[in-house]
Amino acid sequence: MQVLTTDVAIIGGGAAGCYAALSLCKNGIKSLIICKGLVGKSGASLFAGNLVISGRLLGNTDEQARNTAEFLIKYHNQFLIDQHWARRCGEWIEKVYYPELEEAGLYFRRDDAGQVVTSPGQIRSVAANVQGNSGVPFMDLRRKQIIKACIPWLEETVATALLRKPDGSVGGVFCLNYITGEYSVVLARAVIMATGYSDRLHARSTGTREMSTDGITLAWRVGATLVNMEMQWWHTNDIAHPPSWQRMQVYPNPMLGSEKSARMVNSAGEEFFNQQQDDPLAFGPYTVQLKALAKQVRAGKARYDGGYYAGFDHCDAAEVDNYTTYGKTFRQLGLRFPQQMVETAVTSHYRQGGIDVDTTTMRSSITGLYVAGGVGGHSNGLIGLATYDGHAVANSLARDLADLRSGSIPDQDIETESRRLSQLRQSSGRGMPPIKVKEKVRELMWEKVGVEKNAASLRSALDDIERIRQDLLPNMWILNQTKTANYEWLDAIDIVNMIDACELIILSSLERKESRGPFFRQDFPLTDNDKWLVANVLKKSGNGIRFEQRPYDLPFLKPDFATKDNLEVTW
Amino acid sequence: MTSAYAPTQSNLVGRLGQAEEHDTLAARNSRLAPGDIVAVKILRFDRAEDRSAYQDFRVPYQKWMRVLDALNWVAENEATDLAYRWFCGSKMCGTCAVRMNGREVLACWEAVEPEMTIEPLRNLPVIRDLVVDRTPYENKVASLEPWIERTDIYQSFPEPLTHKQMKDASKALDCISCMCCYSACPVIGLGDLTNFAGPAPLVQLGQTALDPRNNPMKVKRALALTGIFNCISCYKCEEVCPASIPIVSRIIEPLKAKTAQLIPEMAKHSLALRAIVAARGRVDPSALMLRVQGLKVFVKLPRAIRLLVRGKIDLIKTFLKIKTEASEAAGRILRRRAATK
Repeated sequence: MQVLTTDVAIIGGGAAGCYAALSLCKNGIKSLIICKGLVGKSGASLFAGNLVISGRLLGNTDEQARNTAEFLIKYHNQFLIDQHWARRCGEWIEKVYYPELEEAGLYFRRDDAGQVVTSPGQIRSVAANVQGNSGVPFMDLRRKQIIKACIPWLEETVATALLRKPDGSVGGVFCLNYITGEYSVVLARAVIMATGYSDRLHARSTGTREMSTDGITLAWRVGATLVNMEMQWWHTNDIAHPPSWQRMQVYPNPMLGSEKSARMVNSAGEEFFNQQQDDPLAFGPYTVQLKALAKQVRAGKARYDGGYYAGFDHCDAAEVDNYTTYGKTFRQLGLRFPQQMVETAVTSHYRQGGIDVDTTTMRSSITGLYVAGGVGGHSNGLIGLATYDGHAVANSLARDLADLRSGSIPDQDIETESRRLSQLRQSSGRGMPPIKVKEKVRELMWEKVGVEKNAASLRSALDDIERIRQDLLPNMWILNQTKTANYEWLDAIDIVNMIDACELIILSSLERKESRGPFFRQDFPLTDNDKWLVANVLKKSGNGIRFEQRPYDLPFLKPDFATKDNLEVTW
Repeated sequence: MTSAYAPTQSNLVGRLGQAEEHDTLAARNSRLAPGDIVAVKILRFDRAEDRSAYQDFRVPYQKWMRVLDALNWVAENEATDLAYRWFCGSKMCGTCAVRMNGREVLACWEAVEPEMTIEPLRNLPVIRDLVVDRTPYENKVASLEPWIERTDIYQSFPEPLTHKQMKDASKALDCISCMCCYSACPVIGLGDLTNFAGPAPLVQLGQTALDPRNNPMKVKRALALTGIFNCISCYKCEEVCPASIPIVSRIIEPLKAKTAQLIPEMAKHSLALRAIVAARGRVDPSALMLRVQGLKVFVKLPRAIRLLVRGKIDLIKTFLKIKTEASEAAGRILRRRAATK
């Protein structure tokens, strides 16, 4: 076991974690990135299709700038967002983010004459090189900036526990390199949790393979408060087959250099969603799409897991191919593009909720534990917002670090964690292999905690979770106990976390007695701004849990109704 | 299994080596029907025990199944200890590349074949089963310092830049560093016999070296480390690239041209060959030897005599037959090409 010491340990190698590391470095603060995948090559940041223009950049009008803010607050977060934070983000993105990226070398797509290509309309966006693939050069740039700055990282290394000093504050991370099988203890004066918001908890999930709620569960175990865990976003048109393509999206967002975007038809071939007509302001129209789909499902003309189609059959191929990657999926399946459409299905995408965070300091409720990006419960982020968090958390730590002393971690805690992991590797029960347990959990989440849920389905899901915890977890078996690249071992570690997170999500879903945006409760179909325009706060108390409600300050935008059928709400 | 699908000219994809008859994407996707069995043979390897062996699996075909779906099925149902790397499943992370029936493919992108043998990438150490050690590649890329260094101070967003200027760099930016090309490259396969950086690191370098915003001196430093003229332009890299990057024509060739311009001594062989072809309309091995090695030829005299005896070089041709019709044509073509660049 190696012991490493640094000022700040960062868990997560996506947009938030990388930018936090780079900003800390500029302030002369040492950090170390612990990344479960490969820095810049795993996690949700990779999937950024394009980048929204905020403020008055690139000739944006005042109205377009306002639209972008409205989109973020209303369509992207259904008002469950700190509007002051949103404003700070917008200003920073306009003044710092775009110039910083371009100065570092990011290529914002131009035309041959040198104009930055944008999507036209009420909210505009740009792409890094190609629309649909922006996250790849974006995160590759971050990876290289980290290399250039000589910031150390541990890759293909899973953080398995936060380590606490005797005073209860967080002062280290226990982790396992699952390629070599080596344990590491990273001692730090503070830990930044930046594990993202796209965990694979449902049978269909957009997250990358390694995303399994580690950030949420590790924080919860040391007592951090969580918020809005029920608020799950969905992609409405991801490719239905094969299973490995469940993240491959027929992007409904406005296309660069074109007035058109993808359209969707039901099993009868009737169009039921076309972003340009049905939702011109929702730049990422996923929730409005989902509501349109729900009506089709109820009419028997589509299913959440398929039976409806999306594509670009109303466009010229060149119009789509000029600046986007959207044609590639169709062609790779041997479909005629753009004439043929492809069968699509719903996929669990971002979780809006997460660790409760003070958005001015990026502190969690536990001393020494900070939060950046999607794993926080303060917003359903975009890559720009996650990056802003990296900046904000680094600034906050530059102020706080003097007060955060490194302290000793009790040997016994390190011993206990190392024993727990070794026992998982040697699982030799008579039950299931860990991957099967994972699949079982994802199936039950899809079935009972999917797009449409109610008290009965949620209670039944809780029973299932408890049975899995009691019967399956202690009886898992692992075929090969090698320490080298042992993904069975990793699955066993993951599933313990996933079970806990699922339980918290289900309890939070039971608590929110309304429907809001992508959160559909069949037994509470109304969006209730009187009672539920609040943060659904989840706290640990003794051995149990406690819910609290915290109202949002609404300085800039307010909803214009008290209660309304959620399916009729246009955001 | 035969397919009723008959390819026509219009649905042949214009990529070298991949557009053979009955090998179109549509044909590849319709070879199997749900319920058919895919016979999968996977090369398993355990470094600790230094043991490798093929293992057979019978995987039920699902609609539009990818190689990754087959691996997932095996790992969930037959060999739960199968080690294979993937993160995104959507051609973005570039970590799931393997060799399928001897060809490098991205597992998440490629359709399964009725019978397929899956092996790890070549030219990298294997850790376990299909998981390779990416370190040699990563170290090479890092040594090339693939970031831009500006000569002028950056002003403001957006800076003046056109897509025309970024045309080649933009192609390189499609790279997901999956290392398919690195595995397919026969020169990398020679190991330490050359100092060739390999196609993937060159594409990574091309992202910034072909960017007009970069300082040429910085580019020069990086190019000096690439051994780029060891590339034999066999196009294997282009053939396997899942991102369809024209690696030779749009990345390596422009980088070679840049090297010839910035570090002419690295391009000595290539420039001499070009000059000889321009002058003579053919390759002349002895002239090439003389130009590249100069007086060193006399140090290596026994080798030269051996070449002479075996008819590999022909001094009469070299010194007497210079001007021919071919030489005039070649001169015209090469001058015209140089003029259009």
